[in-house]
Amino acid sequence: MTNSGAVLVPKIGGRPIDREAALEVGAADPGWLKLRREEAWNIFAATPLPSTRSEEWRYTDLRSKLPLDTLSLPVAAVGKTVPAGLHRALEQDVKSGGRIVEVDGSVISAELDDSLAAQGVVLASLRDAARRGIGGVEALLATEAVPASDGKLPALNTALWSDGVFLQVPPGVSLDRPIRLSRWVSHPGTATFTRILIVAEEQSRVSFVDEILSPDFETTTLADTAVELFARGGARVQYVSLQRMGRGGFYLAHQRTLAERDATLNTLNVALGGSVGRVDLNARLLGPGANSDMLGLYFGDGDQHFDFNTSQDHVAPHARSDLLYKGALDGEAKGIFRGVIRVHEGAQGTDAYQTNRNLILSDRARANSLPNLEIEADDVRCSHGATVGQLDADALFYLMSRGLSRRRAERLVVLGFLGEVLSKLPMGGVARKITKAIETKLRYA
Amino acid sequence: MPDEGVAPSPGAAWVRVSAATAVPPGAIKAVQTGGERIVLANVDGDFFALEDRCSHQDFPLSSGELEGNRLECIFHGATFDVRTGRSTRLPAVRPVRTFPVEVRDGEVYLRLG
Amino acid sequence: MPRNEVVQGLGLDDYKFDFRTDSKPVYRTRPGLDADVVRQISARKEEPEWMLSARLKALKIYESKPMPQWGGDLSELRETLEQTYFYVKPQEKIERSWDDVPENIKLTFERLGIPEAERKILAGVGAQYDSEMVYHSLKEEWESKGVIFDSIEDGLKNHPQLFREHFGTVIPAADNKFAALNSAVWSGGSFVYIPPGVHLDTPLQAYFRVNQERLGQFERTLIIAGEGSRAHYIEGCTAPVYSTDSFHSGVIEILVNRDARFRYTTIQNWSNNMYNLVTQRALVHQGGHMEWLDGNLGSKLTMKYPSCYLVGQGAHGEILSIAYAGDGQHQDTGGKVIHVAPNTTSSIVSKSISKGTGRSSYRGLCKVYDGATNARANVECDALLIHDTSRTDTFPYIEIDERSATVGHEATVSKVGHEQLFYLMSRGMNEAEAMALIVRGFIEPIAKELPLEYAVELNRLIELEMEGSVG
Repeated sequence: MTNSGAVLVPKIGGRPIDREAALEVGAADPGWLKLRREEAWNIFAATPLPSTRSEEWRYTDLRSKLPLDTLSLPVAAVGKTVPAGLHRALEQDVKSGGRIVEVDGSVISAELDDSLAAQGVVLASLRDAARRGIGGVEALLATEAVPASDGKLPALNTALWSDGVFLQVPPGVSLDRPIRLSRWVSHPGTATFTRILIVAEEQSRVSFVDEILSPDFETTTLADTAVELFARGGARVQYVSLQRMGRGGFYLAHQRTLAERDATLNTLNVALGGSVGRVDLNARLLGPGANSDMLGLYFGDGDQHFDFNTSQDHVAPHARSDLLYKGALDGEAKGIFRGVIRVHEGAQGTDAYQTNRNLILSDRARANSLPNLEIEADDVRCSHGATVGQLDADALFYLMSRGLSRRRAERLVVLGFLGEVLSKLPMGGVARKITKAIETKLRYA
Repeated sequence: MPDEGVAPSPGAAWVRVSAATAVPPGAIKAVQTGGERIVLANVDGDFFALEDRCSHQDFPLSSGELEGNRLECIFHGATFDVRTGRSTRLPAVRPVRTFPVEVRDGEVYLRLG
Repeated sequence: MPRNEVVQGLGLDDYKFDFRTDSKPVYRTRPGLDADVVRQISARKEEPEWMLSARLKALKIYESKPMPQWGGDLSELRETLEQTYFYVKPQEKIERSWDDVPENIKLTFERLGIPEAERKILAGVGAQYDSEMVYHSLKEEWESKGVIFDSIEDGLKNHPQLFREHFGTVIPAADNKFAALNSAVWSGGSFVYIPPGVHLDTPLQAYFRVNQERLGQFERTLIIAGEGSRAHYIEGCTAPVYSTDSFHSGVIEILVNRDARFRYTTIQNWSNNMYNLVTQRALVHQGGHMEWLDGNLGSKLTMKYPSCYLVGQGAHGEILSIAYAGDGQHQDTGGKVIHVAPNTTSSIVSKSISKGTGRSSYRGLCKVYDGATNARANVECDALLIHDTSRTDTFPYIEIDERSATVGHEATVSKVGHEQLFYLMSRGMNEAEAMALIVRGFIEPIAKELPLEYAVELNRLIELEMEGSVG
């Protein structure tokens, strides 16, 4: 069957996903990167698309949901115009230490406070950084964190990525305000592939907010992102992803965090938009004293489909990780959480926790939860919990007895339920921004 | 995909999906129409149409076996009554959709709900 | 580190059932499996034609299904099965009187405490030796009330209609590879029918013993609990330790009719060269109540997930599971509950202990279909690790399609803490006593559910032997 919508909307760019595209996108790249793309393409070509027979894709049928053969690559954004929809979002943002804007897979601006630049902080288009040989890009890009060998889709990203963010924070440098990435996808039926590479050197400190937006699309439109986060000894990194694509958006993220000795590497994934959102997050705790707080929040309605696949890899002893993902599902939305804590042999003294809680708000909404533990050491403290339930009747009753309409009372209870996640985020401005985004969605739900 | 044609019945959207002779008594056949995968079953000359998807794990029922009124899913052994779509044996616990069928002039027509 | 000795002192690892009996089977098929072997089994049992064709069809299904790629390590199983005797007939007929059981077989069961158990207050006792039941008896009191407690073969012979109506309806041959294998070569097991309204106040017990080296034991049990009836069935399993691997693959089908209550207790203590791959499932109708109490202590690898299909309003399913994985053992166990009807409730409680290089895995499914309004399900898994080489996993699947369902899952992993040990030892206990107390406290919520009134395997192992090791 063909995707009939694709016929109605003219394709922009029109470059199909094939080997030539991989060559073309890397034409101006240095040799090492060309080679890396080529190897990645070979892995992509040799690997079958995961089917629902594969445990990790049990509930998301890529073969029916992701029409790779009809998607096309977008043409590079020309000029530096900010689309109106993105402009509105940018205006709402609170102050930041640096800002980078990405439209249809190309960075159109990157600004950094002079004081930070003076301290040696680097914020750049990843493409420029790679071509100019800045920092450790060659050593770190698609090697330790999200290499092509991770699977068919990470390989495709590695072969085709057009641009992204490179952020490097020198040892001991502390950023008070977050760095913001604002991303926009304009064209229906396109597939954009981008990457984020963040290196926080020893004892440095940085937070990064990655927001993606788009209009509604009539055809499946893919935004695929590889996120590579390195926290060296004692560094503190906070990464927030706020996914607010329009309907028709297919958001695919391959995230890996590497926390070394005494480093803290925290993440928050917020899924509000798009038709399909799939996030693979692997947190690796590589040194004693490493810590990862992993937060997630999703609110689906209509026929939205959110799928989170997380893993907490305790490679080193005496590290800690704590995951909390909460979701509310309305309409015919489906939420899937699959998480695994892996305590590797020798990782004694591990503290690892995992909690997934779901609220089902309508008769046709669904929630699947698969919280897994794989423990190969004995001196550990591990637990996981999962719940699926409906709105707290007592809370509803209380609010309605105070004169609130049922609808409004329900919204408040949902907000309270999801708000627990945000209360753990040590970034007031960002939490407020996310709360606002949820409120907006609740209002139109 | 089989040829599709407008059925002689007035009003409803009947579509021709197969020649009756292609589904002899005791046999089943997979057909596709209007984006639906459907399995036809012939029980002693009576034709029935069911969604070609086991309610247990979505495998195609058309790979299975018909015994009397009972269609068995080959993958895990669930059975369904082809007349009603009702599940009659574990591991399936839910019915599958059925569709109205008519045979006219040796052709099998069905109507999508 | 004395911990190893301390744990051995608990008695869980002393395999007391490692003795062999020199008994001559009256018949056995050649090693390996093909359609001829299946025909021979069926012919020996003088089965009707429909059963033979069902067996042959099941054999085809077995051959067509791939080995599971999940769960335990089955990579050497194919080779094991090529050397396995699929059918070893111990004697010509099933005895109703204990005195008629051949002396050496009788001795085996006496060493295992079977007649002793019967002398206590059991309602009925069955004993399987290799491929068939050698003894089956039911107290007159229950027989007169219409209770049927037969070997599965006698069930087919004496109650052909009831048998055929229900056999393979809860677990079809195609359900999984090993259910298909069992459906092809099944032999032994029980056929149980509890008439409506009959309450058995004492348990029925079946005992399974493997004696023959390289045996495959494939018992098949079919239980029909009539409306409003109540009963409790217990199975116990042991085998001698051989240098080659053995194979046990049972299929247990239970129909719990309206408002009936049924409990099925397994006390599995196979030797550590046994593959134990079992399918157990109950279909629970309106107001019915099914409990699986599943104790897995021995075997090389166990893969077993008792399940409840709650298809009637207000049906209740309960799975209490305890697993002990000693050195080199893998217990891949858990439970499945499928909520289909409104107001159904379920609870899964799983406790596992891993020692040495043992590995215990919890694998479970909790599924609530759309329309199972107000379903409530709760899962609790706790794992205790004793050594730094021990391993545990938890793989729950929670699939909820119903808005009004309330589902919870909690799991914890802990080790026997130095603090705990230190505290208890400061109260005057030696390390062995302290360890025993901690392990017993850990399994207590499940152990207390076991039928203490007669001394069969699990009790002796978990309760008495631990105490014994302390003194």
